Amino acid sequence: MSSYEAPIKELGERYLLPEGTTAHDVTETIAGVTETKAPRGWWLLFLLSLSALGVLGGALGFLVFQGVGVWGNNAPVYWAWDITNFVWWIGIGHAGTLISAILFLFRQKWRTSINRFAEAMTVFAVLCAAMFPAIHTGRPWFDYYLFPIPNQMDMWPNFKSPLMWDVFAVNTYLLISVIFWYIGLIPDFATLRDRSKNLVRKRAYGFFALGWRGAHRHWQHYERAYLIFAGISTPLVLSVHSVVSFDFATSVVPGWHTTIFPPYFVAGAVFSGFALVTTLMLICRSVFKMHRVVTVRHLDLMNKFMLGTALLVGYAYAMEFFIAWYSSNPYEQWVFLHNRLGWGILDSNGNWGPLWWAYYAMVFCNVVVPQIFWFKRARTSVPIMFIASILINIGMWFERFVIIVTSTYQDFLPSSWGMFHPTATDVLTYLGTFGLFFTLFLLFVRWIPMIAIAEVKGTLPGAHPDMHAEQTQEAPGAAAAPVPAE
Amino acid sequence: MWRSLDDKARSAEELNRLAEEEQPGGFMGDLVEPSTLVSRRAILKGSSIAALAAGLQGCLRRPEDIIFPYSKAPENLIPGIPSHFATVTARGRDALGVVATSHDGRPTKIEGNTAFPTSLGATDVRGQLYVWDLYDPDRSKSPAKREGGALKDATSDEFDEAFEGLAKKHAADQGAGLRLLAPISNSPSFRAMRDKVQAKFPKSKFHTYSPVNDDNAREGARMALQGKATPPLYDHSKSLVTLSFGSDFLGKESGSVAAARRFAMTRAIAEPDQPMNRLYVIESNFTVTGSMADHRLRSPQSDIEWYAKMLVIGLAGRGVDNLGALAKVLQADLDPSELQGLELEWLLGAAADLLANKGRCIVLAGASQPPRVHALVNAINGALGNFGRTTFFGPEVDADEAASVESIASLASDSEGMSTLVIIGGNPVYDAPADVDFARLLAREGLTSVHLSDHRNETTLACSWHAPLAHELEAWGDQQSQDGAVAVQQPLIAPLYGGRSAIEFLAAFADEETTRGHDIVKATHADQVKKDTKALLGLGAPDKDTSPESVWRRSLHAGILFVPKGTKPPVALQGIIEAFAEKKPRTLVSATNLEVSFEPDNGLWDGQHANNLWALELPSPMTKIVWDNAAIMSPATRDALELENGQMVRLKVGDRQVEVPVWPLPGHADNCITLTLGWGRTAAGRYGNGKGFDVNPLRTSDGMGFANGVKAEALPESYNLVQTQTHDRMEGRPIAIDATLEEYKEEPDFASYRSVEPVSTPPLWKQQDYSEGYQWGMTIDLASCSGCNACVVACQAENTIPSVGKIEVERGREMHWLRIDRYFVGDDQDSPQVAVQPVGCQQCEEAPCENVCPVNATVHSPEGLNDMVYNRCVGTRYCANNCPYKVRRFNYLDWQGHLDDKWAFYGDFPESRKLQFNPNVTVRMRGVMEKCTYCVQRIQEAKIAANREDRTIRDGEVTTACQQACPSGAITFGNLNDPNARVTKLKAINRQYQLLAEIGTRPRTTFLARVRNPNPKLEGKGS
Repeated sequence: MSSYEAPIKELGERYLLPEGTTAHDVTETIAGVTETKAPRGWWLLFLLSLSALGVLGGALGFLVFQGVGVWGNNAPVYWAWDITNFVWWIGIGHAGTLISAILFLFRQKWRTSINRFAEAMTVFAVLCAAMFPAIHTGRPWFDYYLFPIPNQMDMWPNFKSPLMWDVFAVNTYLLISVIFWYIGLIPDFATLRDRSKNLVRKRAYGFFALGWRGAHRHWQHYERAYLIFAGISTPLVLSVHSVVSFDFATSVVPGWHTTIFPPYFVAGAVFSGFALVTTLMLICRSVFKMHRVVTVRHLDLMNKFMLGTALLVGYAYAMEFFIAWYSSNPYEQWVFLHNRLGWGILDSNGNWGPLWWAYYAMVFCNVVVPQIFWFKRARTSVPIMFIASILINIGMWFERFVIIVTSTYQDFLPSSWGMFHPTATDVLTYLGTFGLFFTLFLLFVRWIPMIAIAEVKGTLPGAHPDMHAEQTQEAPGAAAAPVPAE
Repeated sequence: MWRSLDDKARSAEELNRLAEEEQPGGFMGDLVEPSTLVSRRAILKGSSIAALAAGLQGCLRRPEDIIFPYSKAPENLIPGIPSHFATVTARGRDALGVVATSHDGRPTKIEGNTAFPTSLGATDVRGQLYVWDLYDPDRSKSPAKREGGALKDATSDEFDEAFEGLAKKHAADQGAGLRLLAPISNSPSFRAMRDKVQAKFPKSKFHTYSPVNDDNAREGARMALQGKATPPLYDHSKSLVTLSFGSDFLGKESGSVAAARRFAMTRAIAEPDQPMNRLYVIESNFTVTGSMADHRLRSPQSDIEWYAKMLVIGLAGRGVDNLGALAKVLQADLDPSELQGLELEWLLGAAADLLANKGRCIVLAGASQPPRVHALVNAINGALGNFGRTTFFGPEVDADEAASVESIASLASDSEGMSTLVIIGGNPVYDAPADVDFARLLAREGLTSVHLSDHRNETTLACSWHAPLAHELEAWGDQQSQDGAVAVQQPLIAPLYGGRSAIEFLAAFADEETTRGHDIVKATHADQVKKDTKALLGLGAPDKDTSPESVWRRSLHAGILFVPKGTKPPVALQGIIEAFAEKKPRTLVSATNLEVSFEPDNGLWDGQHANNLWALELPSPMTKIVWDNAAIMSPATRDALELENGQMVRLKVGDRQVEVPVWPLPGHADNCITLTLGWGRTAAGRYGNGKGFDVNPLRTSDGMGFANGVKAEALPESYNLVQTQTHDRMEGRPIAIDATLEEYKEEPDFASYRSVEPVSTPPLWKQQDYSEGYQWGMTIDLASCSGCNACVVACQAENTIPSVGKIEVERGREMHWLRIDRYFVGDDQDSPQVAVQPVGCQQCEEAPCENVCPVNATVHSPEGLNDMVYNRCVGTRYCANNCPYKVRRFNYLDWQGHLDDKWAFYGDFPESRKLQFNPNVTVRMRGVMEKCTYCVQRIQEAKIAANREDRTIRDGEVTTACQQACPSGAITFGNLNDPNARVTKLKAINRQYQLLAEIGTRPRTTFLARVRNPNPKLEGKGS
């Protein structure tokens, strides 16, 4: 193991944590967060999130009581913010699995500092996402019709429908993400259980620790299970967003009916996921003073990732125009040149497509803004990357809005063309999902080790079999991943 | 179970004991002795009693004097099977024969009566609308009297006492102070009762007023036809060239239903070499008739008289000698400078066409044109040999009745001691000419005014007494159409709110022996029936009984009593020459001297349907505006007046003014404004109050049709007008395809050539075998569809489609299953042509909606229907996204209770309106998708009937609601597997094409491309 886990000192690599950090220090630091009183800042944020969650509850209550008409959805824009938010949240939920599972398989040990965090984000984002298909239906109390539950009514779902595939894809993804996250947590729950000083904590953590004793056999099973779930999760990163894209790609709507969608959606999802991880990580890093665990080098790598996916997404945008031109399909050309570009085709009254600004907002945020990451100075500047990551999140929301709304509001028959205006309930529902997300996130930060204790311990010099051989050497390298000196 | 227990039980004790054994706890105890316990069974029992009571209530709503228990049900009444009654509905002095469908005693739907000459089986928009009015929750529910300045509910006895008191009072003075006012009536019985009243009160005066009437046509006929007030009737099926002087004869003119059907006969051709008619229209507003025109000339209404004069001169100059004398007089007066700006070349082209088709042509004038134009039109038709061939005349009725405007003006200025005014129907306070201050008349000291009215409208609120008037579907009556056909108006339901009909009130007032409507009507026609027994025998079911009673019954069944033969009066030019003796200079319109025309609304008409939800949400055929009216003008005039769309404008004539929002309509005449009547009501009811703008304050006695010299003043405010269709152009897409006759001859398959060839992709799954059984399909002929909207309301009435309110329409959530798309075509932005296209569900074979529904809520039936399973629908709306025709409608909110910005809870829906619902159609709850089903309930009904007789459904046995209502017969529905079905034959016509064929949906509804027939000699001269 040492061949790839030990830092390569020729490259100037160091161990993840400074020399002299003991396993006890790690436990104290991370477990301590859950054992001490919450700082005032946490309470402030928690109350804020809880209020937003309350807003969500109110908005959903209104929605269920009155009907989908409380949103701005109409004919021909039957889907609007609801599905935009769904795709946006599910896209965000991609980074967690990507960081956790794929980087794990590639033995990128630097992921240790952020994987728990990103996984939690995935689970909560997918929860927020999964909420939308459930509540966007006209009669949500009949949502169970979408599941293949044997029943006396002799009803069965329609497996030809991409929405059906969606149900399975999203649920599978949610289930696997939760299990993957939970398996990683088991040793840490055991640590918390062992440190518990009152019965409630002991019982609660004990319950979730599933009787973990740290036995050799436990570790063996744990490592194997973790590896298997990392293996299962990895294709899901690709599949879930591909399936989501089928909702659009298999339809006949110009602007949706596009074969490029699966890779385009996956790239976009990774892009937005990394952007939100960056945003949240930057906040937590400074709030919880984790500069040593989450280094600028990490951030630099994340930004490179974003630049790469931004280029992929930009390529997809350009390719859509090429196909619209190449297909000589007048409806598709109309969607791209009029509805999106605005001036590409003017209508017979000489007007631009009225929602052109959404397209430009999207291109600016998703293609123009990430170009600053060609510069190392931007990649390593916290304020710049913070602003950029937020802009990318906005841009990715617009991407979904552009795809969904600017395709449908002017489609085949001009007689049925319409317009979309969001209502207050639309806005409150969307803001409310942040309440749900952050409430869960803050509870996670407070009650669950936000960094994988056991894994971090594994990166300590003392955890390596050849530690003693290198003990005399100066400045031991970092764990696995190249973490340069700050 | 407990029926068997009941059988076993010998006594209450035993019953209890058995029940105890059956289910410990003893629910049977509840049945034996009263208990406060409410068991499930008790609830069931209670609800079944409630259901029974509801059923009984349904039976009680029968127009019978004696109530029979339901065990002796009315003849032929099978619960659940609708019955049909022939009846009739009034159109001013005209009538429309209809057949009303009744479900368990509730009239739910109106169809045309094939046997009645003005209907020919179809209806207009109002024919579909008026069943809603029956269930209007805001109808007057009781008599009322004025007490302390306000109208208070009164009992029927109180009213009867007062009404009799008035009769007694005037019996003494021979009716010296008695005045009566009623709208124009077409009812022989009404005339009879009116005469009785006048006989009893010889000094009383009877006045007539209808805001929309045919007085100009009657007056014109008087001038031209030796004093006979018989407006001409036209048979468009015999005409090859038609020239309309501002007549919307396919839309709002009387007789439009039959006109549209007959016009389509020589319009919708199957082969390029068939004779096809040609239509020239000169008009100010862009009407549905104008949209059908091959040559349309936009012109101010005031110029139309000049075109008519020039046509007379032109025809006389080309050898029509009969017009010579008249032309001479007209020419003598003519100052050539006055002809500036008239498109005479266009007119002469039309004249040449008319001359080439003598006896096979029609010239007609619009109701708002002055009598002189109507007189000229009669002269022209007479001179062209059209009388008896394309132009006919009915019997003269109410020959000495004064014109509405004069009649009401003389009433208002009547100062000879009027003490009682009885108003029967109508709403003169709202719709009387602006110079007749009717409200002041009613406010006269010492005047007792009685308003008999279905609603407590603006006039009622100003009267001292009120009693509810029965709806046409609630009372016996009779009506006569302009060609003389009489039909008996049969009641289908007992008056919901105890109303009585006009003839019953008049009979009571005249102290007649019988005041029962049925007896009055029967008495009116008793002699006729006896006399015409032989002629009437052919009606209805064959019956050996030839007694008058049997004939009467048969005519009730057929819906037509008798049709007198038309007359052919000679034209006397002298009357016309006298009419033109007084020279009137031509009025030249300009931006500072505008012309305003008044038109009844497409749905609300003169305001009588102002509370009708179907009418309020019916898109105006050209502007597609709903829930409002507007000042319609050409875009050029809008720009000249420096106005924005929706900006408020103040229109002024002298000191009269109205404020209306502006809306542009390409193709409207410049410097002219069209205003729609019927809006801006203040006492219409909960739905109609305050909707739109009242334009009556600008409408004076001398400008009922149109008025000149109007000034427009822009106001700073703007108003939100809402349309169901916001984009007017096809953007070069092959959607509503048309060609000229010349092009059709060159390329008989132009429709498939101009649309895109259907794609055939390899199937993804097993194909269904459609070679057996019924395969339903539809064709819509764009050559004959005028876009009149009758089908839209018919669909709404048949399928219980809710109206959603202005705010929701603006959000794009209107629910009409069938919509009429209207596109402007042609390069002339100022005077475009119009293409209309009714679009409902196309029932695609490869339906994009079906594949994407995750819960199988929309599936294909073995008969090729794209079925919607409401119970399964969870409302993901994916199907609607994927529908390229956007014909799916989603219940975003609880539309049965929600209207506009009113948040509703379940059950917040007027009970009376539920009675109209078609029991064969599910009422969709919110959150459910819905769409056109090809009226699947009608298919099932026909199938059941056919199965009982062990046969298959015959062609024409199933008609969809839209097809049945369509006046022009543009919609054909039937079984595609039947090689002899009409629809199969139409599908073989080369004009056929599929909408958006390139998507590969293989729709079952296909369109027949429109053919226009422009005059090759008039190339480029006015569209």
